[in-house]
Amino acid sequence: MLNQVGITLKSILRDRVFHGIIFSALIFLAIPSVASLSMRQMTELSITLSLSLLSFILLLLALFLGGTHLWKDIERRYTYSVLSLPISRTTYLIGKFLGIAFFILVVACLLGLVAAGVIQFSAGIYPPERPIAWENIAAAVVFDALKYILVVATAFLFSSVGTSFFLPIFGTICIFFVGSASQQVYDYITAPATADIPLFTKKAAMVVYYLLPNYSAFDYKVNAAYGVPLDGSGLLLTLGYFVIYLLAVVVLAALLFEKREMN
Amino acid sequence: MKKAIEINNLTKTYKGKKGAQVQALKGLALEIMPGEEFGFLGPNGAGKSTTIKTLMGLIRPTAGDALILEERISSNSARRHVGYLPENPAFYDYLTAEEYLTFVARAFDVPSNLLRERVCESLRIMELWDARKRPMRGYSKGMVQRVGLAQTLIHDPDVYILDEPMSGLDPIGRALVKEIILDLKKRGKSVFFSTHITDDVEKVCDRVGVIVRGKLEALDSVENIVRKGIEGYIVQTRLGLGRHEALSGFEIRGTNETFAEYFVPAAAFNQFMSLAGHNSVEVTLVETKRKDLEAFFLEIVEKGEAR
Amino acid sequence: MGGVKRHITLLVCICALYAAIILPFTRSMRSKPFAEKLGALPTVATLKFLSADQRLFVGSSLVMKVIIYFGGLTERAKNRIIIPPDYPAMSRTIHTAVKLDPYNSDAYYFAQAFLTWDARQFAIANDLLREGMKYRTWDWQLPFFIGFNYGYFLKDYRNAAHYYKKAAELSGQELYASLAGRYLQEAGQTDQAIAYLEIMAKGARNPVAKRSFFIRLTAFKRAKLVEDARDAFRKRKGRLPSSVAELVDGGFLAMAPVDPYGGEFFIAPDGSVGTTSKFAFKGSGGQSRDKGGAQQ
Repeated sequence: MLNQVGITLKSILRDRVFHGIIFSALIFLAIPSVASLSMRQMTELSITLSLSLLSFILLLLALFLGGTHLWKDIERRYTYSVLSLPISRTTYLIGKFLGIAFFILVVACLLGLVAAGVIQFSAGIYPPERPIAWENIAAAVVFDALKYILVVATAFLFSSVGTSFFLPIFGTICIFFVGSASQQVYDYITAPATADIPLFTKKAAMVVYYLLPNYSAFDYKVNAAYGVPLDGSGLLLTLGYFVIYLLAVVVLAALLFEKREMN
Repeated sequence: MKKAIEINNLTKTYKGKKGAQVQALKGLALEIMPGEEFGFLGPNGAGKSTTIKTLMGLIRPTAGDALILEERISSNSARRHVGYLPENPAFYDYLTAEEYLTFVARAFDVPSNLLRERVCESLRIMELWDARKRPMRGYSKGMVQRVGLAQTLIHDPDVYILDEPMSGLDPIGRALVKEIILDLKKRGKSVFFSTHITDDVEKVCDRVGVIVRGKLEALDSVENIVRKGIEGYIVQTRLGLGRHEALSGFEIRGTNETFAEYFVPAAAFNQFMSLAGHNSVEVTLVETKRKDLEAFFLEIVEKGEAR
Repeated sequence: MGGVKRHITLLVCICALYAAIILPFTRSMRSKPFAEKLGALPTVATLKFLSADQRLFVGSSLVMKVIIYFGGLTERAKNRIIIPPDYPAMSRTIHTAVKLDPYNSDAYYFAQAFLTWDARQFAIANDLLREGMKYRTWDWQLPFFIGFNYGYFLKDYRNAAHYYKKAAELSGQELYASLAGRYLQEAGQTDQAIAYLEIMAKGARNPVAKRSFFIRLTAFKRAKLVEDARDAFRKRKGRLPSSVAELVDGGFLAMAPVDPYGGEFFIAPDGSVGTTSKFAFKGSGGQSRDKGGAQQ
């Protein structure tokens, strides 16, 4: 398993697309000047922008790594040589997944440090009215990373059955958008006595809500930018949700991959 | 001794377009003995690769089963003692040959004290030593094939399954592969390899199987095939000496100033030789005239496809 | 295959765990305040840049967010669970949305719906609508809204008449012009509100907006009942009634009408009919002078 994780990390680090994405992290340097456009809340704005950029880079990485990694192995027929080794397909899949997940976590932490530097710099020029809630920012970064690890898992699920990269990439994007909005729709739908929404639509929306990952749960940007206190039990529940949902997706992906034919 | 490979009634059916069923393998049964070099012949699309991929657990059989060294192919450990070379292999091209072989050796649980040594050894055997530090994306096709062979050797398995090991290689590469297979034979290893080139088989194999349209149409030792294939002999005699008229019952294939060439059916060979002896005809050369393996192969394929 | 069976067993166990956590998780998610759900909005300039060629989409999704949020609240209010709406956040979001897509009629329509009675930010609403008029030059509804706001809330009848006239010109319907005329007298206030709400409710296709109009319309129609009873009372007795209860006791009203906003109808000393709810659900920041919508 560790062997597989190591190879996966090597493959990520040697990929040119990855270099391109990391290059985009240079945009961080532009944040202080953009944030100065804000009239009264420069620090808050630079927190928001830093976290948004971090989130965006992680999204690209998650989509690109999760969506193409497995597919590329199949497409380029690497699977023939690797899966004929005495390792199970589950080991192979989970090893790959762990490699990417670990990588996302490390990148999130590194970019988080860069973001912290940018925020500190902004705060140095225009001191904020309220002290910066560093622990909230850290929580926002970590939960963002968890969210994108979940995105990688869904991409793996699609990759384990898809034969081209269309399904993993576009399926994951769809799930990402729906999963980010599902909470709002759910709130609306479940408001009592919504008479003119057909029952069927409501039920369907509920099923979708419970089935799809709830990405909005991992969004703590407001807490980070405006120092809104974090709710401990909410964080714990989200963490528990993450672990269970992730396990379910990965095990399902492994199951489907085990049954797959390598033609 | 454990049988190297045992295939029982292996059947694979694919769902084709519009619900049509494609039978890639129809109840294949085969046994490969320890220390045996087995050539698996068949035209393109006959089911050679399907058989091999099924053995390696890449494809699940629809029915039947197979064992490698008495381990079921559905278990991961069946692949533990096998060196497998895929057809037109492709390896993680961002790795160097050295890195890749190290990865493979770890996957096979080669003990860490032997690991380095094994990697270096197989790189040297395959003449990849100078290229070992370069990423494989810059390798030629032949070099990639050699990496594939190095991968099969690295854990010193008892069974080798090679899918078209000679395809895409230049004559030097082919010679190297044949040499390696012969060396494995010497060391008592079992080799199961598929090919559509009969010449390769004749030189290295003990036994061949011919698969046509998913069915095993022939299974015999190379020796038997060769013996059965003898049609007769071409006998050369020196003119000017002895009484050649005595041999006039035999077909003359050609003459020049000094020699005559006769075609002698196998059954009449002894008679020809004694006649020649009695009549003081000097025999200068005897050549076996036989159907080669290629003809044997084509005949079987034709028969199989006519069915 | 043992492996597959093991996977399935594992999957079933995980699904059970999922079932166990999903309910508390959902409960926790539902109780998150609005701002957290809406997320922090970057400045308009940044958002314009980030949304690239998807400005219209981002703009309309922001409006949808507000509508869905508000819809959820009115639904709960109907069941007597009053959660104060976060009007400043809603206003901020709508303003950002129109900056991204100044043609989005939903934004104006909805802003008019909640910024007036609910948030009582008439000046902000009118500024926003005037801004929209620059783009939606064909849209009679925007001047119609402005006219109404001037006439009904700000008692600026000159401006009201001006904008009603514009609405009449754009729509080609005399109704709005005649409304303008009627606005010049205060006496017909409730009638005007009912006329306005009926037009609004008729044009509303979004169920949330429609329902909120109907609730308000019901409230005004009930106020109208009280007014009619008051007029009958005055005709018969030659003086103003002092309370709704007096009208009920005198047989002018079968019963005291219920205010759907949870307030109580009353008769002011000058005889005008009002309600303690001011025709709106109690909101946070609704009564305070929030400038959230104006700042960018």
